[in-house]
Amino acid sequence: MERYTPPPQSKLGQIFDVLVLLVLTVGALYVPLWLGLAGSAQVHQTVDAPTWESLNQNAAMVEQWGKLGFADAEAAAPLITARFDYSFSIFALVAVIITVVGYYAMMLKLSEKEYRDVIAEKFGKE
Amino acid sequence: MSDTATNTPGIAGEAERAAAQNGGLLRVLGPAHIWALGVGIVLVGEYMGWNFAVGKGGAYAALIACWFAGILYSCVAMIDSEVTSTVAAAGGQYTQAKHIVGPLMAFNVGLYLVFAYTMLEAANAITVGFLVETVAGMTGHEGLDPQPFIVLAIMFLAWLNYRGVLATLTFSLVITAFAFSSILILFLATSPVFGDSPLRHAELMTDLPYGWLGVLAAMHFGLWYYLGIEGTCQAAEEVRSPARSLPFGTLAGIMTLLIAATLTWYVSVGLMPWEYLGQSGVPLFDAARMSGSTALTVLLGIGTLFATLASANGCINDASRAWFAMGRDHYLPSWFGAVHPVYRTPYRAIIFLVPIALIFALGAPLDQVITFSILSGLLEYTFMPLNVILFRRKWPLETIKRGYEHPFHPLPAITLLCLCGITFFAVFLGYGTQLVAMIAFYIVVSLWFHFWRYRFVRRAAQFTMPWPKPQGY
Amino acid sequence: MLIWNLAEYVAWALAAVLGAYIIIDWLRTDSRYSEEELTSSREGQLEAMTEQHEL
Repeated sequence: MERYTPPPQSKLGQIFDVLVLLVLTVGALYVPLWLGLAGSAQVHQTVDAPTWESLNQNAAMVEQWGKLGFADAEAAAPLITARFDYSFSIFALVAVIITVVGYYAMMLKLSEKEYRDVIAEKFGKE
Repeated sequence: MSDTATNTPGIAGEAERAAAQNGGLLRVLGPAHIWALGVGIVLVGEYMGWNFAVGKGGAYAALIACWFAGILYSCVAMIDSEVTSTVAAAGGQYTQAKHIVGPLMAFNVGLYLVFAYTMLEAANAITVGFLVETVAGMTGHEGLDPQPFIVLAIMFLAWLNYRGVLATLTFSLVITAFAFSSILILFLATSPVFGDSPLRHAELMTDLPYGWLGVLAAMHFGLWYYLGIEGTCQAAEEVRSPARSLPFGTLAGIMTLLIAATLTWYVSVGLMPWEYLGQSGVPLFDAARMSGSTALTVLLGIGTLFATLASANGCINDASRAWFAMGRDHYLPSWFGAVHPVYRTPYRAIIFLVPIALIFALGAPLDQVITFSILSGLLEYTFMPLNVILFRRKWPLETIKRGYEHPFHPLPAITLLCLCGITFFAVFLGYGTQLVAMIAFYIVVSLWFHFWRYRFVRRAAQFTMPWPKPQGY
Repeated sequence: MLIWNLAEYVAWALAAVLGAYIIIDWLRTDSRYSEEELTSSREGQLEAMTEQHEL
């Protein structure tokens, strides 16, 4: 097995490679933000003139809300009525499953190819 | 314990040891440091963040998620202990992947590590700023600018890391022990054992507000009880006896966290209605305030600060080791593979990651940063079962000696894979777009590595373990 | 309150000092030692000596 000698990389090339990685990272973090797709949806059921009873809070809960600084039901209502929306489409779920599984499949396949080279060079072919 | 290195077979004395350490990292840590590194990174999750699981599915859902995530992480700790007690090198899971799965997988794992930890570090710094702001607010000063405190926290810990690993992790050990003791004291002080208890479980607990779907969704933040425990492997090159200390420190760490997580849940849900708890910024601090004791409030306030600092500290340590290891192998520019000749730390990697942490701590919203961190962690946990299955297949038990063999193989691997699948679904429920954006990022980066960057990597030289040829090759 | 305003400045100053320490030490180290010496760390160097993976 022939030994593979990597080409030397110039200083400028090294800096450029790091920049590419950085730009990709920042992109992955900020692109969903710019597109306004980030965060999970919370819906508020608006209750007119909320009382502790209409919010289903018992005496002990009311007492604890009081200690937390929520004097009346009005103040606590936005927290109590906030709910997540867990509805999703099957299509989106399938798309995500394909993405995740595809990613791992691709990575394992390419890794295996590179790994065989490494082992062949390290231990020699039998 | 101090003479472990000299007693280890293969190292005769001072002179030979000095030769072996030429240019490398310093081998000074004991099992307690490993415990501190693992628990230190994670314990902040008990002080903030885990409670979003309550918001996602109610109080009972958070407990179920806590225990299922506990099972997930017990599998992680067992699998990791076995592999890392054999592959003792900086870079941890990155080096494992390089030897067991292949270079591209290793590159991806290295990036998971760096991003999971750097993002967690940024989140911790944001929390430090928030905490200082809160304390200022309590003394009647409004409008404090948290930025200098965020920057100071990052700079101080970077400086500490730069100066040497022993001081860094001893610092972590002290503040982690304090933060953990605070949780124990809070539990004892509020429990019915000592007279009147402020806990009101019977009245405050409700049915599952979202049904069982909420329990699944809660798994997303259930990870937060333990996220980062696998970071113990990063210290492999700096610990005196890796084959013994790493499994010991890691497994002791996961046990500590299981206790801390359950106690935290118990006290918090007994004091606060779940609707509040699910959206609280600092739940344990709130719990202490609710108990009505000033001493407890101060204690848990300091505990919160210490937990965030210990976590950020461990994150800098781990992220820089992973970045350093990748530089050393030319996966990244080799410039990063330098060790400080006096302090024996990967100083260039530490310096490089400071501005990155600052960008995210000062510029990005907290939930984004945390989701990025959790997702990177989740991708890493999905890699682990694949890793250990291949490890056992390529090097069966009788071929190489392991410092620790995890029991019931392949049951932990399969359990872990299933739990990761559930957690992917939980993340999809709340943050599907980020999940896809993240995977897209890793796909692009993988292609970039395979078709461009890999040409600078020497092939055989990256396989450094003194192992026989893997079976099937 | 004055003390909090002061604290902000002190925090900025401390951060700057620590940052300066790191940068100065980094540049001095890089100029004093050769690149070969600095990047002489090798993975598995200790592994080969201390951990005998044999049964």
